[in-house]
Parts: sequence; C-alpha cells; structure tokens
Amino acid sequence: MNDNAITISGKTDGNRLNSRILEERIQEAVASGYRHLTVQAFGQHGIGGRLWRAGNDPVHVKVEGHSGQRLGSLGFPNTEIEVDGPVSDDVGWLNAGARIVVHGHAGNGACNAMAQGKVFIEGNIGSRGMTMTKQNPRFAPPELWVLGSVGDYFGEFMAGGIAVICGVNPQDTDNILGHRPLVGMVGGKVFFRGPHRGFSQSDARILPIEPPDWEWLTLNLKLFLGGIGRPELLAELVNVDALAPTKWQLIVARTPKEKTARQRRSIMSFRADVWDKELGIGGLIGDLVSFDRSPVPLIPVGDLRRYVPMWENRKYKAPCEAQCPTGIPVHDRWHLVREGRMDEAVNLALSYTPFPATVCGYLCPNLCMQACTRQTEQMSPVDITHLGKASISASLPQLPEISGKWRGLPAPVTIGIIGAGPAGLSVAWRLRLKGHAVTVFDTAGAIGGKIASVIPGSRIPEAVIKTELERIQKVIPHIHLQQQLDRKDFERLQTDYDFLVIAVGAQKPRTLPVPGKELAMTALDFLKLSKAENILPGKRVVIIGAGNVGCDVATEARRLGADTITLIDVQEPASFGKERRDAEAAGAIFRWPCFTREITSEGVILSTGETIPADKVVISIGDAPDLDFLSGEVATNKGFVQVNAHYQTSIPTVFAIGDAVKPGLLTDAIGSGGKAASAILNIIEGQPLESDLRPMIEAKRVSLEYFDPRIAKFEDVDNCGSQCSSCGACRDCGICVVVCPQAAIRRLEIIPAGYEYRVDENLCIGCGFCAGACPCGVWNLVENRPME
Amino acid sequence: MPSNIPITPSTLSVKDLPWQIDWNKGKCTLCGQCTAVCPVQAIELGVFRKRCINLSPGFATPPENTMQLYYGIRQKTDTAYSCVGCAVCNLVCPNGAISPCRSDETDKLVFHRDRGGLPRSRGGRRNVPGTVLDQIKFIRISMLTDPALDAGRHEFEIRTLLGRVLPPEENLKFIRQNGWIPPVREIYPLMIGGMSFGALSPNMWEGIQLGVAYLNEELGMPVRVCTGEGGCPPRLLRSRFLKYVILQIASGYFGWDEIIHALPEMKEDPCAIEIKYGQGAKPGDGGLLMWYKVNRLIAAIRGVPAGVSLPSPPTHQTQYSIEESVAKMIQSMSMAWGFRVPVYPKISGTSTALAVLNNLTRNPFAGGLGIDGEDGGTGAAYNVSMNHMGYPIASNIRDAYLGLVTAGMQNEIPLIAGGGIGKSGNIAANAAALIMLGASGIQIGKYIMQAAAGCLGSETDRCNICNIGRCPKGITSQDPRLYRRLDPQQVAQRVVDVFLAFDMELKKIIAPLGRSTSLPIGMSDALGINDYHISKRLSINYVV
Repeated sequence: MNDNAITISGKTDGNRLNSRILEERIQEAVASGYRHLTVQAFGQHGIGGRLWRAGNDPVHVKVEGHSGQRLGSLGFPNTEIEVDGPVSDDVGWLNAGARIVVHGHAGNGACNAMAQGKVFIEGNIGSRGMTMTKQNPRFAPPELWVLGSVGDYFGEFMAGGIAVICGVNPQDTDNILGHRPLVGMVGGKVFFRGPHRGFSQSDARILPIEPPDWEWLTLNLKLFLGGIGRPELLAELVNVDALAPTKWQLIVARTPKEKTARQRRSIMSFRADVWDKELGIGGLIGDLVSFDRSPVPLIPVGDLRRYVPMWENRKYKAPCEAQCPTGIPVHDRWHLVREGRMDEAVNLALSYTPFPATVCGYLCPNLCMQACTRQTEQMSPVDITHLGKASISASLPQLPEISGKWRGLPAPVTIGIIGAGPAGLSVAWRLRLKGHAVTVFDTAGAIGGKIASVIPGSRIPEAVIKTELERIQKVIPHIHLQQQLDRKDFERLQTDYDFLVIAVGAQKPRTLPVPGKELAMTALDFLKLSKAENILPGKRVVIIGAGNVGCDVATEARRLGADTITLIDVQEPASFGKERRDAEAAGAIFRWPCFTREITSEGVILSTGETIPADKVVISIGDAPDLDFLSGEVATNKGFVQVNAHYQTSIPTVFAIGDAVKPGLLTDAIGSGGKAASAILNIIEGQPLESDLRPMIEAKRVSLEYFDPRIAKFEDVDNCGSQCSSCGACRDCGICVVVCPQAAIRRLEIIPAGYEYRVDENLCIGCGFCAGACPCGVWNLVENRPME
Repeated sequence: MPSNIPITPSTLSVKDLPWQIDWNKGKCTLCGQCTAVCPVQAIELGVFRKRCINLSPGFATPPENTMQLYYGIRQKTDTAYSCVGCAVCNLVCPNGAISPCRSDETDKLVFHRDRGGLPRSRGGRRNVPGTVLDQIKFIRISMLTDPALDAGRHEFEIRTLLGRVLPPEENLKFIRQNGWIPPVREIYPLMIGGMSFGALSPNMWEGIQLGVAYLNEELGMPVRVCTGEGGCPPRLLRSRFLKYVILQIASGYFGWDEIIHALPEMKEDPCAIEIKYGQGAKPGDGGLLMWYKVNRLIAAIRGVPAGVSLPSPPTHQTQYSIEESVAKMIQSMSMAWGFRVPVYPKISGTSTALAVLNNLTRNPFAGGLGIDGEDGGTGAAYNVSMNHMGYPIASNIRDAYLGLVTAGMQNEIPLIAGGGIGKSGNIAANAAALIMLGASGIQIGKYIMQAAAGCLGSETDRCNICNIGRCPKGITSQDPRLYRRLDPQQVAQRVVDVFLAFDMELKKIIAPLGRSTSLPIGMSDALGINDYHISKRLSINYVV
C-alpha cells in the first residue's frame, strides 16, 4: 500500500454517511495528496467525480460495496474508478474524462451526456445508456464498452463517442440492442455483436467495418477485456467469420442530407402498384370514364381551352342597319367609301330605296344616326346625309329584262300596286329590279304621294325630288295616274295580277268630333294648298295637334304671313327634329294640355272656356287610309289594313304597306315596301317567308376608343367613312392578327372575293384579346363546348 | 363598356367592388394569360384612348391635340363578372403585372347581390377569421410529473375509438344476452369529413382516397375518410380500401342503391356509416347540385340520370325526431352489415344537441355523435345560412361531453367534432383543444381542401366560388378543363404530409401531458384561456 493510499468508509460509527459528507471526505483526501482511494460505499451517489484537486496526478478510486447513482459523474481525465460489483443508474453521467470500470451490470442511463473518458461494464446495462453523448473536437471521443447487452432506448440523441456492445451473456439473447435504439442519433459509432430487433433507420444505418475500424476495435478490445479482467474472451470476440451470427457490425449516424431522403414508397409507386392494382386500370373511376384525367397546365390550347374566340362577322346587325326601317346597311356604304369605291357606296342605296337622296339626304329623321353606336358616348354620329345627298347622282343598275324566264316561268310575274307614294314606289322599284312586271296605280296626277304633294319646299330642294321621281319613272314605266278604284276594280285587279299591293297611304285626314269642326281645315289640305301657293292663312293660326305635320303647317303658315301661331295638343307634343326646330324658329307657341271644346269663327274654345283667337284653324291629328275600295275579304282593324310581319293581308297574294297599314315615317313606308317585295320574291321562288331576324349588336362590343371624340361635325364623305366603327361587320383592319399574343389568328382569302379571319386552335389560349381589341365587335369569346 | 352610361341603382364602379385589379401597364407584356385563366372573366383586354395636348413655350407652334391608343387589362364592373380575388391572374402573369387588391372599405357589391330577389349564395366558409379554439392554450406542461414524454423520441400510438364503447361489465352482460356487442373501430382521431363526389372533383376525391390508403397501408396510420353524400365509386365499394371509408347517408340518399347492390361483393366492411342530419356550415339549409354539374360520371355514381338537378333537402322526409332516426336509420344501417359496422348520426352544431345525445345514450346501436360547428365549409349555401347560422363547436362539444359525464357515460359514445378546425392553420392545436374539451375524434374538410389542394378561399371572402363549378384549382369543379389542373397523386402526397405533420404537432401537445397511447379526451385541466367568460362557459382554467 502506497503512502498516498487511504481508505474512506461510507460509514462512521456504524452510521451511513450521506453523500455530501462522503464527497467532502474524498475531496479532502485528494486535496491532502492521497492518490489511491478505496471507498467503502453504502449507496452514496456521485462517487469519484470531480477530482480536479489532484491536478495532473492520476487518482485511483476503488469502490467496494454498493455504489449509488452517478458513479464518476463529472469525472476528470485524471481519474480511474473501479467498482467491485454492479452500479446503479447514471454511471459516468457527464463524464469529462474519467476511466470507469464496473465489474458487474450497470443500471439505467449509463454514460448519459458523457463527453470524454471510458466506461467499461463487465455485464449488461439498463435503458437509455449512451444517450446524449458528445464528442468535443478538442478531445478523444468518449467510449462505452459493454460486455453483455444494452437496455431499451439505447443511444437516444447520441451525438458522438463510440459504444461497443459485445453481446456476451446478454440479458435478451434475441436482441442485444434493446427496444428502439438510436432514436435521434446524429453522431458517433456503435459496434455490436449479436442479434438485434432494429434501430431507428431514419437516424442511423449499418456500415461495413473497414480495416481501420477493425484494427481499432481489436486493439481496444484487448484493453477493455484487460480492464475488466476477462482477457480469455478475446479469441472468441475477434472471430472474424463473416457468416457467424455473432459477427461484429457497425452502426453510424446518418448525415443530415441522408436523413432528409426518407425511405418511403413514392405515391406514384403506391398508385401504380397498390391502388390501381386493387381497383383496376384507371383507378377509382376507371370503370366509369374513359377520358384522359392527366394533369393539364393552367393555360392550355386546343380543346382544353375554357373559352374560344368566334369570328362573328355579320352575325349581328349594325345599329344603323337595324334601326333603318328601309334596312340599308349603312356601315357597308362607309366600308365602300373607305375602300375608295365611292360610286358603289352611292349606288348601293338604290338596291333598297328609290329615294336615297330625298329621304336619306333630306326628309328622314335619320334613325340610323340616332342609333349610331357613337351616340352611346356622346360622339357625333356618322352623318349619312352627306352620302344621302350624294345619291342624287347615283347611277341605275343594269335593269334585268322583264321576264319569267329567270324562274323558269312561261310569263313574267305581274304585280299590281295601288298607290304611287313612297311605299308603293318602293315595292315596285324593288320588284322591277328583280325583273318582274310591276304596274302602279294612283288617284293623283303625279307620282310621289306625300313626298311630291305635301312636303314643304323649305325641307328639300324641288330639284332633288324631281330628279329622283324621274329616275323612278325610268325604271317603272307602267304607272297609271288619276285612277279612282272601286271595289269592282279591286276585284278585277286581283284576277289580273299575280300579286296586289295596297299602298294607298293615309289620305283621309282625321278630324275632331267638336262643334264647328267644319270651320277648320285639315293639315293635309293646308299643306297641299300651301305647296301650291294657293292659300293665305291670315295673321293668327291655331293648329290643333302639335306633331311634326303640325310643325310643318306652322312653318308654312309663317312663310305665308301668319304672325301668331299656336300649336295645341292634349299631351306633351311628340314633334321632334328639324320640323320642330323650324316651327319654333317660326315663332310658333306650343301649348298643352289643351282640350278643344268648340271651334268658332273667333277661334278655338278650350275646355277651360278660354278662347284662342284664330283667323285659321288647322286640324293636324293624323290621317287615315281611304279603304272604301277594298273587298271585304281584306281584313282591316281600326281603319287600317291588317297585315302580318311580311305585310301580307288576310289574302295571301294581297299585301299592304305604308300608312295604309300604320302611320309612320317615309322610311317606314319605303321599308315596308322593301319587306313586302322580299316576301313576294320569296313566294315566287317557292321559299319560306323569311325576314332578317339577326339581332342588333350590343354597343359594348364595339370599341369606340379607336375614334377621336372631339370630332363634332363631319366635313365630307371620306371623313365619315373613316370614323364609322363598322359595328358587327369586319372592317378587315387586321388588328386581331396583330394583337393576338399567340399569333394564332390569320387572314384567309376566300376565292372568288372575300376573306375570313381564322383561329389556329393549337395556338390559341382563349384570352379573348381579339374580342377585346376588335373595333367592330366582330370577335366574341364564347364558352367552349362542354367536355365530359 | 362605355364610360358615360345611364346608371342603374346597381351600377358599380371598380372602386365599389370588393376586389380591385391592380394592373401595371409598364410591366404588362400583353400575353393574355390573365384573361385566359380568370375563372369568372372579371378582366378583359381594353382599348384605351390617351389624349395628349401638345403645347410649346411662347406659342412657338399652335397648340394641338393628338390621340394615342394603347391596350391594357380592364376590370369589368358588371356584378356578374366581379373579381373574386382568387389571384390566379397573378399566378400566371410572367411579369408580376397584375394582382387583385381588396377594397379599402366595405364593398358596395354586397348590397346588390340579390338580383331577381335571389339572395347571394356561395361556396366557401363563414368568412370570420379566428376561432375561440385558437385562443385556448395547453397549460399542463408536465416536465417531471405525469411524466413528460418527448414527442420526437418516444413512441406514440395515437388512436381513438369509433363505435359504442360499453363498460366491461355491461359488455359481458350484453354478449351473454345478445350474443353480440356493438362494433368498435380503433382509428386515427383526425378524420377527413364528408365531402361528396360531386362537390369535389373526381381528381380531388381520388387524391384524398389515395392519400388515405397510403397512410393506412404504408405508414400504418388508420386514417378514415367520409364519402359525404354523393355515393361512392363502385370500384371503391368492392375494394379492400373500403375499410378506410365512412359511408355517409343523407337526405338525398344519393348513390345508396349502388351501395346496396355492392353489398354482396364487398371484400371489407366500411369503417362506419355516418347519417348526416345537418351540416355546420349551413345548418337548416339543404344542398342542390345543379343539373349542369350532373354529368355522366356524377350521375353514374349517384345513381341518377345525367342532367337533372339533385336536391338534398334540409331534412329527411320521414324523420322528424331523433327517436325516429334511431329506430329507423341507425338500426337499419346496422342490419345492412350484420351489426359489424358502427353507425352514428352527424348533426350541425345546435342548442338542441344534448337532446339528441341523451337519446343516443339509451340506444346501444348508436356508435357516436358527430357535431359539426358553424365554422365549417361548404360547396354551396345561402350567404345568410353560412354567415349567421350555426353553433360554435367548442361549447357545443363541451356541453355534450359534460352531459355524458353527468350521466357517467363519458367516452362511451364517442363525440366527433367538426367545423372550422384549423381554419387559421392551427389544426393540431384546435384538434387537441377539442379533444381535451371532450371530443373523441375530429373531422376536417376545408382544411384538406386548403392544405392538400391549395384552395384559395380565405376567411375574408376570397374566391368562394365552389358553388359555380369554376374552382380555379380544380377542387370543386366537374369540368375536366379545370379539375385536370389537379393531380391526384400530388393531392395524395399532401394528404400524407398533412397527417404526418399533424401527428407530430399533436404529439408535441400531448407529450408534456404524459400521454402517448390514450388520447387526453376531456382532459380539460390541461386547457386554459385568458378570457374569463369563455373559461367559465367551457369549464376550463382561466389563465392570465
């Protein structure tokens, strides 16, 4: 026994020392220079740790008896501890360098948080051994050597160090690593020898033992076996038979990169090999559907587009065309103007009306302009009167020969038209242009009806009417004037002609059922006389009925010397436009509501008892047709001829148009003639009665932004043409081709003459840019056909 | 659209709309992607006129006007095309030139969504952010008492029971008397609630089912999914995957004849049968699958002709009381599978939930009670039903659980809570709170749509167009052009991710309670809240 040896008992006077006192005595002994300590332990904790007072001197601690918990905890590198028997929990806890030899088993938590030093266990250890161990790069790694086996949860969060489990007389012969070892392992190595039941595959993996490892293992095994006094086991433990069930294996921590790549079957593989295998090809609904359900991108082309563009050229009527009762495609005329085909633009109107200059240029309130899309943005409408006035010089189309041969008939189709006013001339004109034999009858001495007889000269130069009437006469040679017809005549005409058209107008002025009505004059008579310069109305004129005809009367009365002109009406006057403005300029006073009680030589007495003095009273409350000549077979209603949408009367070969059907504008009369002509042509050709039912295009489809809103007045025809947005009809500007982000639109020439814009489905993404950019509103974006 | 138009009372400006498109002319490349992808055609190419007035100093040249034109993206103001804020335009824009921005004030559209006298209906959710569940804290952090467990290290087997759990002595008596005891399933406590084939697209539905099968067969997590009311594809009925499925029967009874016909060919029993009496998102409101969504596929699965509207009335016509329901449906459904399959009713959260529960306690066929709280989502419902009707799940489940406690029957009838779980993203915390308030299981629907398929809905009225079949993500559409945007495999992967992540989070919550195998059902001493009144109402700790 050395001088510096001491035995310290864990008992004094038969009483067990508590751990604090024993620790004090051990520390005192070391401080006093003792380097060989024998500690007789009685379950005291923490024996042998923290012996730094010895400096670099080695300190040997031999523990006899029963060590308590945490033997050698916080151990120093100078310390060697040897225990005769087993140890309790947490041997080598936070060991910072001590060498601890246990000749027996160790409890739970062996080497928890050990950072340096070596712990030799000549037996098995309990659970949670070698957990949270570290390796500080400044020092050699800590080592735990276990002769037998380890308990459950071995090596949790092991971050460094080396554990060697030899598997000699293990507690569980089937599993020397315990339950769920190495969870959370991030560093270090575990050599083991014997069967195991798995370890945390996500944290650790088996590595082949390379020669340097083997060399280290065999060398250190000798030290371990020597340390625990079992050198005889070496031969058995270094047996390198690779087939032996007890061969050594090495487990290391996975690197962080290896950990992220979890070993799990891919969904794709699961779907193919498990899901579809159980359910059948196509998976869940493979038996119910056959179509492709594979992923598509957000912006597909072709059939997968949700919306597709449509080039809806002329699918809708332009507002001008739709609102023109005559149905003139006004925008087409401007299109011809833009193309420099001025003559064609002018002549086109003659296909629709014999009065393009008279009506479009002067007398029509120009419904086309009122409807012009430009009006929706308070932009001045394209001014058709320029083109209308120019139509005076329109050249007649080549007239076809009057013949039935065009339709394979032996003789021409004959149409008798009663009335040579705007309606009658219109239907005659249209049918003659198609090569049919038309004959017109009128009671008057001249053709033109109201246009010729009652429209004041202030509204239109005489020459214009004259020119157009002459043109009509060239086209329609068979006009029989001053023909008063009676019922018999009408019945005769029915047999003489294949078709009859009643276009007698409204020549019978309506009057008021009040006393003294015979003192008043009708507007029609007044205007006829004034036009013939055959009346002097006096200074004070009262006009009952303040519509546009009443306004004409007022204007004429002024021209003829009247100075106090009063227009009265039972309601707010419906007059408008030029007629109204002219009447107001003539100083006419509009009064309403006024109800006429009586007409006297003094003037008009109202229901209020007031008398409006008058030298001349004119009643202008509309006209009714004179239908006395009609056979009873032609149905009438409230004094007008009853017709269907095609102006066909109750007798299918008899048509009725113009004011005889319903009072209206000149263009209404002309338009009804056009429609009746179309119906007659349809019947001749054996076609069903059809009318152009295309709806009017919605203004919002048209892009007026392309036009200058500051144009207040159109200088000339070219100016008009350039500012027409060509609603609903392609203007062939090519903007869509340019604006398409996919370059999917191209212009296609159609032989003989024409074009269309076509979309390549395999390029188009259905963005609708074409529809957004189209100035005419021709392009539309519509939902693609449903896909199942 | 002309700028100068006659206005109507419902004429709105872009400013009046809930979402305003912020388009950047400088960044835009006019590629057309945004207008092509917009689900509601809220944007279009616009032609813009720009007037420039050219002046020169000192009047060197006469002043003049010139007009320039440019193209740009224009937002429509027609209420039928108002932007829904889904921001798919932003998703596809290569230049980041377009994005919807929320109006800075209450929109005016809200006052005009009743055209023709028809109040607004929509899909989505209640649009009220946050929930009381989000405020609940888990205050029992037992480091050294219970003892503490480590979610990352310790083994957990998180399971719950679905089915009637009789006390052992009663079970013994029951089996002696009847030769039978009520079936019980051990399943994962987080279930995917009923979302029908029809409400969801085929790809979404298959993705969910595929993910659930994977969780079961590859990861050993016994996750269950409810079909919702729209039948079940015949192949699934005849596959082993049926055991992962809870078949739902509801007032429309869609697809049930197909299920009945499949009975002889079933390889496995379904997990359970859910009888739907109500939906938390729209209590008292029924469903209507419009005829144009009933394509051949939906029709085949629901067992109806294609192209007819399919109403699911708010009530079962032949049942007006829980007594009738128990007698007629629970027992009949049990008979269909030889009393081997748990059958439970699901109701919307309601102040009358206890009446239902009390009745169920007296019937051994009742395998549980599902309660769906007001914060649930739906494919289509009236705005008023969604926003203003329903019962919050927290107090409803708590009352039900405490009712069972009073009767000494807690955990004998599993309570399944649904409705807004995870609406703010806190799925595990919400689920754990409900479990500790007394729920045995949790059902999620909306969360799966968001997490597994990228639903764009928010709690602030974004998107919410599930009802019109134009889901920009293809989740709720029957249009292949839309639902093919969704890859079932990727949905399945996300379902798997959601459950794995949930599992970890739930462990993090229950590990400090020392629970690793038995769920802390009703363990309300672990709950705290810093609102005194809520703490009293829920009988949990008041903590500040």
